[in-house]
Formats: sequence, structure tokens, C-alpha cells
Amino acid sequence: MKETNMTNAKISARAVQVYYGDNHAIKDVNVDIEDKTVTAFIGPSGCGKSTFLRTINRMNDTIDICRVEGDILIDGEDIYDAKVDPVQLRAKVGMVFQKPNPFPKSIYDNVAYGPKIHGLARNKAELDQIVESSLRKAALWNEAKDRLNAPGTGLSGGQQQRLCIARAIATSPEVLLMDEPCSALDPIATAQVEELIDELRQSFSVVIVTHSMQQAARVSQKTAFFHLGNLVEFGETDKIFTNPEDPRTESYISGRIG
Amino acid sequence: MTDTPKTSLLTVDARTRKRNAAEKRFKAYGIVAIAIGLLFLVVLLTSILRSGLPAFTTTVVALEATITQEDVDAAEGQLLKTAAYEALLVAKVNEFLVERGSTIEVDEDFITDRLVPKTGATIREFYKENPDQIGQTVTFDLPASTRISRYFEGDLLREDVTDSRFLEVADLDVVDVMIDAGLITTAFDWNFITGTDTAVDNPGGAGIGASVIGSFFMMIVVLLLALPIGVAASIYLEEFAPKNRLTDLIEVNISNLAAVPSIVFGILGLAVFIQFAHLPQSAPLVGGLVLTLMTLPTIIISTRASLKSVPPSIRDAALGVGASKMQAVFHHVLPLAMPGILTGTIIGLAQALGETAPLLLIGMVGYVAREYPDGIISGFVDSNSAMPAQIYTWAARADTGFYEKAWGGIIVLLVFLLTMNLIAILLRRRFERRW
Repeated sequence: MKETNMTNAKISARAVQVYYGDNHAIKDVNVDIEDKTVTAFIGPSGCGKSTFLRTINRMNDTIDICRVEGDILIDGEDIYDAKVDPVQLRAKVGMVFQKPNPFPKSIYDNVAYGPKIHGLARNKAELDQIVESSLRKAALWNEAKDRLNAPGTGLSGGQQQRLCIARAIATSPEVLLMDEPCSALDPIATAQVEELIDELRQSFSVVIVTHSMQQAARVSQKTAFFHLGNLVEFGETDKIFTNPEDPRTESYISGRIG
Repeated sequence: MTDTPKTSLLTVDARTRKRNAAEKRFKAYGIVAIAIGLLFLVVLLTSILRSGLPAFTTTVVALEATITQEDVDAAEGQLLKTAAYEALLVAKVNEFLVERGSTIEVDEDFITDRLVPKTGATIREFYKENPDQIGQTVTFDLPASTRISRYFEGDLLREDVTDSRFLEVADLDVVDVMIDAGLITTAFDWNFITGTDTAVDNPGGAGIGASVIGSFFMMIVVLLLALPIGVAASIYLEEFAPKNRLTDLIEVNISNLAAVPSIVFGILGLAVFIQFAHLPQSAPLVGGLVLTLMTLPTIIISTRASLKSVPPSIRDAALGVGASKMQAVFHHVLPLAMPGILTGTIIGLAQALGETAPLLLIGMVGYVAREYPDGIISGFVDSNSAMPAQIYTWAARADTGFYEKAWGGIIVLLVFLLTMNLIAILLRRRFERRW
């Protein structure tokens, strides 16, 4: 596998190993993820792409048996350093999950929760401002502005997922991780979310895990192919899909394995 | 092509028939089980109500008296002041008997010992408090003696009466005249609700009020200790504690503690709180502490179950936006688990409210609660009884009058339990509505 060494790297992973108990789930992954790009992680189920995604904001810390080795640097700082508080890290690296998981609270409270606990707003007016701009960025403002006090769980699936995106970007993160954000959505909602991802690229570095190769091809500039815990190939999306270097990548995207 | 015959959907084959029959049978078993349960409930409730409701009523004798200032002055001038007032009643009753055409004449002993015991004090009290009523005609509703009230209610038959210092056969003639005139009636016995326990020879005057207060203070102790300790322990074990052998051991022990007989907690309470810590005996504080020990496992188990049932995606969502673990728990998980926690707490409290065995060992059973506590502090530390202990004490007494009181006490206890459940349901609704 090729050692990538770009100057514009937002996230750099160096020799990352992840173990679940005795199970070696991620094997020696090295990758550089650029700022203001969409990077897609593709690969068959169980290949470790979600696991790797969760190491980037240390969500794996919540799993007792999970152990991470190697370095992951964000802007050159090792996020697994003992001095790093995962709470601060997660404010910087937002996450959107596979299943829409709004809090059972109002739409407003869902978006306002992050800014509130991080003290990003000094007063109500500022908080309103953050909520509005986050909902606008998540393309939910027009649908939600008249029902900000309605429960977030009362929205449709696609709206809920966009609410989760709004919630994730309300803390002004620098990186947005998305773990199969469209797998529970219908094609129309998927199209809306994909459009949104493309817009979010202006402000964030977006990393998306997806099972749909068409989606990876549509939204991402860079693609990483994982197989059995190895990062098999990483490069420009166009190149991965048209002219892959590794025979395993080729078999996967042409549908022979996976 | 196979040679199986073509089957029609319009005919039900044997296999399907069998399955349908099995389903019908199962439904029937279920209905029978529910019917049996309901039957027992109805039997239980009717027997409790039938035996217990008389405890809430009392037989009163309405005696009219017109006592003038001279009468009062004369009575106050005597050595036995209360007896003097009673003597005034005797004259009045005899006047009434002559009016009704009866030839019997009653004496002071009949009034004071056998019809309405110890009334002189009541009457004297009344005129002291209402001096403006002197000279007016006043009707006193006086509690009848146990035997006369039993005769009035039909529990005691004339044939069974033998002359004694409590009742003479001749008295019944007077009583009959009074019943005919409507002077003896049944009234609601407020004294049973508000009163205190009495000595073993006076079941009529016994009330459950003081023990209700005792139970109330115990429940406050249990709620204040068991709820915070139980919830804090569950949150720590469920959300923060590492999963290792020690926590496994703790977990197994908590589950086992929930099954320990309550009398064991009573012995523990006796040894630790009374003999070692020298806390006062029979005090609701000690009772509350013992019941707290007993209630904790119930609250911990139900709290952990309801914390577990909160979907992990909520925790992920909170952690994902950068909430700390504690914020995730207190802002999101705990509110969602609240209805379950409340249910567990109320079940635990209800169990504690009805528990008698541990109270036996710390001295609350058998304590004759004759006084209300003076204040909040004394409510916790002064000796008192509790509702189940009071019921147990009454049921163990020889006089059948107390037996009736015990049933009545059970009704009061059940009303308490229903109220607590109602509060729990209302609280749960409130919490659920927010989501």
C-alpha cells in the first residue's frame, strides 16, 4: 500500500491498530485526510471502516474491550495523547450516526444542546442565531422554522437525519464524521442529504462511511477501500472507481467480492 | 410433477384445525386464569370491606340536657366534679323515660358505667369551652359502651346477656326504649382515623391516627435515603463502573439481597442501629433505616433495568456532540429512565409500607401508641407504632372489638397504598408527556 504524504492533511493516521479483545479489527492503517474534502470509506461489511471512523473522535472509548494503538493526528496533535479530553475532541469532530438519533426533545433543544454544553452562546439571541444557521446549513430551516418546539422525534426519517446533521454542525466542528448516514433513508431523502454533504464540504472536512458505491462516487473526492481490517487502497475517487491499482478493489467495485 | 392431490383453500385441513384448536384452548386457559384472579380479588375486597367497615362507625347515644348556671356552680363546688355532671344527666334520662311511658328508673351507675362510660368529663369540658351554652338545651352525642353498641348492631343477643358490671339484662329495656325514640344511632367514627391506640379493655376508642403518622415518618426516611442512594448506585454501576469480577460480585449480591427475608433486615437493624448505634427503640427513624436497607435492592434493580432500556443511540448522540459521560447520563439517559425508576421506587415503598416483620424486632410491634409526636423531630425519634405493626398488635389482642379495628386498619393501609400508586402514575404521566 502506498504511503500518502500530503501537505494539506487535516487528519493523519499512522500505524493505527484497533483490537476488540483478541480480535484485530484494524490492521496498521496509514491515511491522510484532507481539509475541506469529502472522503468516503467503502468496503464490505465488517471490514473495519466504521471502527476506523469511530477512532477519529474516540467514540470507541465507550466500548470497554476496544483498544487503539498508533497515532491519529488532527492538525498535527495526537488525539490519543493522555492530555486530550475526548469531550473537547468530540466538540471539534462531530459525528452523524447510521440511524437518525435525535434526542427526545424539541427540534430547537436538539440543535441547541451542543452549543449550550460547550458555552458557545452568551445569550438566548446568540443561541437562536446558532440554531437557525445550523438548521439552514442542514437544509431543514424551511421545514422546521414554524415548529421549533415540536419534538424532534416527530419528524420524518430524512428530516431526523438532517436534524442530526444540524446538531452535529451546531458546535462548529472542523471535521464531520458520518457513519452510513443514508442507510435508513429513502432515495429522495438520500439525495437531499448528499446535496447537503456537498455543501458542507465548503466548511468542513467530511468523512463518510457508505455501503453504496454510487454514493461514494457521487459525493466524495477521495475514497478509501477497506478490506478485512486493511486499508487496501486510498486515492482520488475517480481513479479508484475507474482505474484501481489493487485487484481486491477492482473485484469489490465490480461486484465480485463483498 | 408430483402426485400430491390439489388442496382447496376452502377446506381446513387436519393440521390447521389442530393448530387453531390449540390456540383457542390457550386463549381459554388465559381467560380462566384471569377470572380466577379476579374472583380472588373480589373475595378479598368484599371480606376486607365487610369486616373492616364497622371499624369506621361507632354507636352514639344522643342525650339532651339543659344545664343552668346554678347546676354548673353546684357541680364545680363538689369534690367529684365530673360525677356531678353525670348526675344531672340521670335526672334528664329518667324524665325522658317517664315521658315515653316507661316505669323503669335508671341510676347513675347505668349512665356512667354501662351506657356511656366516662361522659362527665366530656360534658364538663364542653361547658368550660362554651359558657354561652349554659342554660340552653344541648344534645350531646356520646359514644356508647362496647356492649350496648354490639347489642344495637345485633351482634349481642338479649339471651346471651348475663348481669355483670358492664351490662345488666334490665338495662336492655331502657336501651330498647331509647332505640325506639331514635336516640341511639350509628355515626362515622372520626376517632378511628385521628385517634391513638388504647389499652386492651377499650377497643371502641382505639384509633389508627398515631400509627399513620409513624408510617408517614418512616416512609419519609425511606424515600429520602433509598431513592438517592439507590439511583446513584445504579447509575454508577450501570454507566460508569468497569465490568470486572468485583462489579459482577456486587451485582450478584444486590440481586440476592432483594430476596432476603425482611426479618433478617430486622435483626440487622436491631444489632446495628439500636444495640450498636444506640438509636431510640421503636422510633420511626430506625424503622425507616431498616426499611431503607430492605428497599434499596428493589430500587437498584428496577433503576438499572430502566437505565438499560434507554437506547444506546441516545448515549452515542450525546457523546457525539461532545457531552461528557455525566452530562449524557443526567441530561438524556436519566430523564428517559425516570418513569421506570419511579415505578420501582413506588413498588419498593409499597413493600416497605406493608412490612411488619422487621418492625417486630426493633420494637414497633406491640408498642401502644397513645400519643401523637410533638413535632417533626419527635416524629422521627420518639417511639411510635406503624400501620402494619398496629394492625398486627390489634389482631393479637383478645377482645373481638380489636379484631374489627384490625380489618379497618387494613382498609386504611390499602387506601394509603392506592394513594401512593396514584401519585406514581401521575408523576409517570408527567415525565412521559415531556418526550
